[in-house]
Amino acid sequence: MAKVFIYPTTSLILSDLVARFGHQPLSAALQVREKIQTAGLESPPLQITPEDPKKGLKYAAVEVPSGVRGRMSLYGPMIEEAEAAVIIHDADFSFGCMGCARTNELIQFLLRKREIPILDIRYPRSDDEGVEFVAAIRKFLQDLPGGGA
Amino acid sequence: MKEYRPRYVGTVTKYVFVESPDMTPSDLAIRAYEISLGVMIKETCFGLQITGNQEEVHQIVARLREFDPAHIFVKDRGFPPGDPRRCRANLGGARPGYYGHEFEISLIRYVSKGIEELPGRAPDQAVHPPRAAGLARLDAKKLQKIIESQES
Amino acid sequence: MSKVRIAQLACGPEYSGVQNEIAEAARSVDAEIFFPDITLKDIRSGYDMFGLDVRSPDLKLAIARARALVEGKVEADAVFIATCFRCAEAAIVRNELRRYIHENSRLPVVSYSFTERTTAGTLLTRMEALTTIARRRALLAREVQEGLTLGVDSGSSTTKAVVMRDNQIIGTGWLPTTAVLKSAEDVIELALKEAGVTRDEIQATGTTGYGRFLVGEKIGADLIQEELTVNSKGAVYLADSQHGPSTVIDIGGMDNKAISVQDGIPGTFTMGGICAGASGRFLEMTAKRLGVDITELGPLAMKGMSTMVPMNSYCIVFGTQSLVNALAAGSSPEDVAAAACHSVAEQVFEQQLQEVDIKEPVIMVGGTSLIQGLVRAMGDLLQTEIVVPHHSQYIGAVGSSLLASGFIKGT
Repeated sequence: MAKVFIYPTTSLILSDLVARFGHQPLSAALQVREKIQTAGLESPPLQITPEDPKKGLKYAAVEVPSGVRGRMSLYGPMIEEAEAAVIIHDADFSFGCMGCARTNELIQFLLRKREIPILDIRYPRSDDEGVEFVAAIRKFLQDLPGGGA
Repeated sequence: MKEYRPRYVGTVTKYVFVESPDMTPSDLAIRAYEISLGVMIKETCFGLQITGNQEEVHQIVARLREFDPAHIFVKDRGFPPGDPRRCRANLGGARPGYYGHEFEISLIRYVSKGIEELPGRAPDQAVHPPRAAGLARLDAKKLQKIIESQES
Repeated sequence: MSKVRIAQLACGPEYSGVQNEIAEAARSVDAEIFFPDITLKDIRSGYDMFGLDVRSPDLKLAIARARALVEGKVEADAVFIATCFRCAEAAIVRNELRRYIHENSRLPVVSYSFTERTTAGTLLTRMEALTTIARRRALLAREVQEGLTLGVDSGSSTTKAVVMRDNQIIGTGWLPTTAVLKSAEDVIELALKEAGVTRDEIQATGTTGYGRFLVGEKIGADLIQEELTVNSKGAVYLADSQHGPSTVIDIGGMDNKAISVQDGIPGTFTMGGICAGASGRFLEMTAKRLGVDITELGPLAMKGMSTMVPMNSYCIVFGTQSLVNALAAGSSPEDVAAAACHSVAEQVFEQQLQEVDIKEPVIMVGGTSLIQGLVRAMGDLLQTEIVVPHHSQYIGAVGSSLLASGFIKGT
């Protein structure tokens, strides 16, 4: 079972397919869950405190906006952990966690820099594309070390 | 800043979406209650949210999927159900993630189709994943020909 | 009193750890932040119709929500636009949305670029102004001072008091701020003495400025109000420009305000307070270095040419160093004074005036408006004749006194 970074990190479709084919999707929810289940100082809604953008300095310099650094403090560790990634390229309507284009560019770059297997794909817009979409994701996941169903 | 004391520590919450001609969210909820093992189940307009310890939630999700494999979709959620920090009633509007779900649900029938077709497909059959179309550049010689044909 | 509902259009605060600070600032002025509820379809159409092609989904969402507010699909009392500091894409959206809402609705709007260091305290005055405009339109509509009222402006550098009777200023007091309450008591005494009235005769009192809560509580003020709305009211009142558009600039001791005013009510405003180089302090330091009183700096600067002195920085430390170097290299005190005025004006121009729509008349108020060199430098940058009304250094006290007359019983 491989840890697969999914992009958008909030994707229901990718989350489902990666788990369905026997791997572990690395999604935003896991990071958010860890945040909101950890005691500390109260900072609703996501329990991201002003300390988190500072942690994000590991991934982006201080002149990079705080929102990028705060998001990177969530995603940076996931990118480091990832053994593979599936990237959907036309994810234009993913808000919140994926709401910042600059962060999203940095995420993709850092994934590529890690030289892990990456599947680049876009959302299906027909039945035929849906078949190829699912088949391609299954094949990509099966070919990963650790196989899968 | 006040001290924060988390609730539901050690639990996981999963969204279970159902987008099926044969099953409504309330059908799914009834099935889920039958096998609930005492975990928390909350019905929503699109399906369910299930909260409990990891193993129990995993088991329920696996059994629920069997009811309609191509039309039930599952993902993790960071917050427990009805958390005031993410509740529409408190925010005035939907949380940002909602729109992302709304968008993906509009495409999910194609994914269902893909899942249905998988068993009939040879494992080694070549795949042609949909990809973003790059802008093709016009060959200079071709352009020249077009210009010449217009001039003549 | 029902809560003022402030619609938030934003990208990044939740991930910068400052969303709670925004909510807290709103709560402290009895307002609540909410997120306009729209559908995915609204997002697509709202964003497409607006026509600004941005990449960040959260900015698309902000644009669509702004449209829903302007079109009245979602009701709100005020709008707060917040995006990350140093994000160019967001800065463009923030400015265009602020302008769009200002021009197409009556909703008061304030925009702010935050960092992870932004606190509820920083946002308080802005939120208070937003709620005042939403809640007290009737009070802000007052154009004439009536009865006998007292206004106190407890600022960071100076404390001012004004006594007014029947639309006339009859007494003033002005002192550097030392102990907040003591300074307030002293200026009140000065103003009462000049007016020839006693404390008991005063029918209503208002306070504004940094020390407004402390002073207001102590003297039992009828109106305790932030300086954004009070100063704009005072400015248009004194400049006799209560109808139509105007722009109010107040370069203070610790912060600056630039306010776009329509019929005496602020529409959009910015408030800066990060850099001492864009404040009256910079000019005080320059006057000290030149060995002149601050009141002499203005006339001195009027005789100088700012371009004769190279300034390497707006910073109160390094910029002052440039001035010192210039003096050592033989520059005249007049040129140095002019360069200091230009430096402050230019930084305010670059960092704040870009965020409000400059409409004439441009009115400068506050103590620094008496420094003619600064007014000239600002006029040059804005290419307009700046209006400095009489008693402009008492602006907050006049505004307070004017608005306080709405609290006289029986009026």
